[in-house]
Amino acid sequence: MTTTITRDEIIAAVKKVPLIPTSGARLLQVANQTDHSLADIIAIIKCDAALTGYILKIINSPAMSRGREIASLDRAVSLVGEDMILSIVLSDAAAQLFQADLAGYAATQGDLWRQDWRSAIAAKKIAPYAKQPVNPDTAFTGGLLHDLGKAIISHFLKGKIDAMVAAVDRGDFTDYSGAEQKAVGLNHSEIGYELAKHWQLPEPLPSVIRYHHHPLEGAEALRPLLFVVHLADIISMMTGSGTGADTMRHQIDPAYTDYVDLSRDDIARIIFEVDNEFNTIMSSLSGEGEPK
Amino acid sequence: MSNLNIVGVGGYAVSNNPAETIKTFALGSCVAVIMLHPPTRSVGMVHVALPDSAVARGNIGDRPGYFADTGIPALLKEMAKVGANSPGNKGMVVKLAGGAKVLDPNNVFNVGKRNILAIKKILWSLGMGAVAEDLGENFSRTVSISVATGQITISSPGKKDWQI
Repeated sequence: MTTTITRDEIIAAVKKVPLIPTSGARLLQVANQTDHSLADIIAIIKCDAALTGYILKIINSPAMSRGREIASLDRAVSLVGEDMILSIVLSDAAAQLFQADLAGYAATQGDLWRQDWRSAIAAKKIAPYAKQPVNPDTAFTGGLLHDLGKAIISHFLKGKIDAMVAAVDRGDFTDYSGAEQKAVGLNHSEIGYELAKHWQLPEPLPSVIRYHHHPLEGAEALRPLLFVVHLADIISMMTGSGTGADTMRHQIDPAYTDYVDLSRDDIARIIFEVDNEFNTIMSSLSGEGEPK
Repeated sequence: MSNLNIVGVGGYAVSNNPAETIKTFALGSCVAVIMLHPPTRSVGMVHVALPDSAVARGNIGDRPGYFADTGIPALLKEMAKVGANSPGNKGMVVKLAGGAKVLDPNNVFNVGKRNILAIKKILWSLGMGAVAEDLGENFSRTVSISVATGQITISSPGKKDWQI
């Protein structure tokens, strides 16, 4: 595989991605603090009239409506919960990325959104099994953001899929990230990390994005969280929410047993619960709730 | 273009309408159990995600297809509704696809392998065995069956389509 694409070109593409609104960045920051409350979330949203209007529009959309109009943000947030609010905010802020067609992975529009959502739910459910405390809300957000680099790298991978798949299947690389690296000089995790820096996302989110396939490369203190999102990503791929060519072509890091205590039955139960929750959320988000 | 009958994760479908194609997308560790009944020209598929319904603690809801132990009987029952049954399930042609593997030396995440084993065991107990299969490996599969011809086509991004 030869390439004329340079690392600088890809980084330049990252820099062109519109910044997320200040309120969105602030929400992510607060949501990652263990001692935050719903009131903190509501206070931030209230300062952004456009965001408030958008959330109320989604909550009152036919798919999510509870029969009567909800005009109060406080009521809306308490009804649907923080995860849903955060995902609505992110879907608004990064709609173009979540809805990228991922042609460079032979995936279809919406696959990335579904993969990230399933990973987010799985990460939240795995978090309590970590051997050291992991904030489930941070795990959820990390799951939602972990693969956004694919929306950018996809463009540069067009036309290279067959060769990359063949190379991984021949064993030239241990995983699909290796093939990405060889093809364009960066992999989707690194590009996602650059995007996280561009957006000035608070730690540990940039690290989660960067190390979700290789959690042992992250800082020791972050590894419980990194492994939680790593395993959530694996579960998402296993259960039908992949992103095309790379699905199932990433390896599980067997060192997860040092950080997360999961049995076979736990995994099976988590897979079933994630799927049920995922289907409920997808039906309530179908229509206006999906990224614009 | 034939009419698409899409089977989601944990879903199942049966058809004897030759204008239809039954299709399921992106099998990772899940397995598509496909049944063909040539005498009635009927075709069925269940998208099994997990080996054993015990983990649902009696709460599988409307998703018996999700588990091997409840999904295969559910598919057989649905096949019988269109007359695609016979004593001892004789004449039923079974094919399997999916069950991609996660290489986990801790033997926890290899759900694909456990799905395959559970499915084969259940089929065996019902007097059936797969005559063709495309299982394991490290990629996802999309599987479609033409009801008119019974041809099963498997596709995976970056690979040419193939049949079983």
